[in-house]
Amino acid sequence: MVKQGIVPDDLTKPFWDAANEGRLEIQNCSACNRLQNPPLAACSQCKSSDNLEWKVMSGKGKIYNYGVVYDCPVRLLQEDQPFNLVVITLDEDSGIQMYSHLPGTSVDDVPVGASVEVIFEKSANGQMIPEWQIVS
Amino acid sequence: MVTENAPASMYRTTEGLGVWEHKGKVAAVGIGHSPTTRRWDGTAENSMGANSIFALRQAIADAGVNPADIDGLVLDPVTTTGAHWPEGQEIPMDVVNHYNPTDDPLDGIAKLSVEWILKNMPELSNVKFTMYGPGCMSHAIVVAAQAVGEGRTHTCLVLKSWHNLEGRYNQAGISASDTVPGVFAMTPGRTLWGAPGSYGTALQFAEYCRKYGKSHDMMAPFMANSRRNGLLFPEGYWAQHRPEELTTEDYLNARWIAKPASLFDNDIPIMVSGAYLFTTAERAKDMKQKPVYIINHASSRGAQRSILPTLDEVEKETAETGRKIYEGAGITAADLSFENMYDGFSLFHQFHLEGLRFRGMQNGDALDFYQTDISIEGPDPVLPSGGNIGSGRSRFWMHTDCIQQIQGRAGARSIIGVKPEIGVSGGPMPMGGNFTVWSATPD
Amino acid sequence: MVILISFDIDGTLEVGDPPGVLTMELVRKTQEAGILVGSCSDRPISGQRAIWEKHGIAYDFAVSKHQLPDVKAKFEADVYYHIGDREDLDRQYALAAGFEFFWPDEAASEPWLK
Repeated sequence: MVKQGIVPDDLTKPFWDAANEGRLEIQNCSACNRLQNPPLAACSQCKSSDNLEWKVMSGKGKIYNYGVVYDCPVRLLQEDQPFNLVVITLDEDSGIQMYSHLPGTSVDDVPVGASVEVIFEKSANGQMIPEWQIVS
Repeated sequence: MVTENAPASMYRTTEGLGVWEHKGKVAAVGIGHSPTTRRWDGTAENSMGANSIFALRQAIADAGVNPADIDGLVLDPVTTTGAHWPEGQEIPMDVVNHYNPTDDPLDGIAKLSVEWILKNMPELSNVKFTMYGPGCMSHAIVVAAQAVGEGRTHTCLVLKSWHNLEGRYNQAGISASDTVPGVFAMTPGRTLWGAPGSYGTALQFAEYCRKYGKSHDMMAPFMANSRRNGLLFPEGYWAQHRPEELTTEDYLNARWIAKPASLFDNDIPIMVSGAYLFTTAERAKDMKQKPVYIINHASSRGAQRSILPTLDEVEKETAETGRKIYEGAGITAADLSFENMYDGFSLFHQFHLEGLRFRGMQNGDALDFYQTDISIEGPDPVLPSGGNIGSGRSRFWMHTDCIQQIQGRAGARSIIGVKPEIGVSGGPMPMGGNFTVWSATPD
Repeated sequence: MVILISFDIDGTLEVGDPPGVLTMELVRKTQEAGILVGSCSDRPISGQRAIWEKHGIAYDFAVSKHQLPDVKAKFEADVYYHIGDREDLDRQYALAAGFEFFWPDEAASEPWLK
């Protein structure tokens, strides 16, 4: 399953650079000690941009919820439907969510609550993208 | 005349504001709808601009006012949620020039400005107050209500228009490209991960079913009821073009879009315009139609912590919305005769219902409630308008129905199991929307 | 030889929205030739039945887009065809269910009779 390529922009470049190096990094406000994803121009809590940094994550999480996509608007993914589309929460902060297609898991056979770990897959233009797989 | 978006001060977004200071001082006195079509046929006569003029003129005639007495216009300038003019496609200048155009050739075709309306409706010779309520009709209504209440306008038209073009919704543009911008890839959009529009709602519904032990099948009576009511809405798409019921068998056999959201859990995009005329309660006394008083408006501006709202976040936000609705109107849930909350994805209507504590229900009760008598003939009418599921995506059937029910003009759709005295309508999303409380009396 | 043909409606049959190139007369003629006919559409099943009944065609099945496998399981035929105008919802679903596929303009010449 090959996702669309990514053209990093200023806000998200650290995330994508880290992914290319096999690291999962999430934006953090050091003043609030609060992670946020997706990244924003300012901390959503204190509204300041002065203390934003990128923090390396353990790459461990849990399956929070999922759906199965049968009718996908994205051309590149249409040949792969139906496919799982899962919401992962990070072990560091269960309020932080990430999407995953949960490679290696059968369609509609997703164990909500299961532990997952991050892997990295190549997108259509070579940019690495964090994905997740169930920890066996 | 420069028209701006309504400032944040026009919206009542927090609890603790007390009763709305203009409660009962603003009334709806006119309704207008254009005919519906599935898509634009490319003609000037059936363009979104043409529909807009039609709806406005119908609202004016319905109210029986002289157009020159109208001094305000509020509209939503965005006329789509996913059908965009294809990049590079030639704009039909014969259509553009059939009307008095503005500097933007897509004005009146795939977007709408106050300037375009005023250039093409010379009878609106006295409009002095104009404002945009961007988002949908729910936004425009609260802006117009607040504006009339504040005295910025005494007789105000409110308009929402939709265009729909050839091709599949949300399939063009970034969905079709090989690359996406970095920030886009990380936001809860429809690209990269391939989530259809209903995905977020589907996930909240899935969490709801797991938490409360419910199932998708339990939606069937609500869906059948909504379509039934929609077929009694002569202004709506299904009634006009394909008067088919949606049976339980139909619903349970529909294909999945983003399981657990199926095909019929998604509304159908259409072309249509709707307009209302609001005025002061004082002026309304002498107008043609029975006035329907606005006794409150409330707005929700919930923000999820991360990519998608969780069930907890949705339940918290909708409960707060319910409290704001009642606080500003000076009523309780027990005072509601009926509700017409939004249903563009059918799977979130129950969040709105539970937030309202409609008929005393608590979180987790709504799907069981759907198994009872929720018809217009019964004592607990749910979505008597039929909403978007009943009549296609307009996001204003719910408002029209509230006005018509209270005025006694809902025809075959009239609520008979309970006297329609106070109704609430609004949306769109459980995490963000604008809501209006309508009443037969000003207090 | 037993033939079964499944018709999409919108974009395929003349009664669809948008109207397709295949006439109800063609469908009637197909059925009169002893071919099993029915619809496979995004229209509600009850609505599909109403279309067939309105045009006096005794359809053999009316199903949702994803239910071609059920049609194949229910009807024993030597060959199964689906006709539709969408690459994803018609052609891909048809091939996945073991049906052969025609676009509407291909089907207009009734290739199954040859």
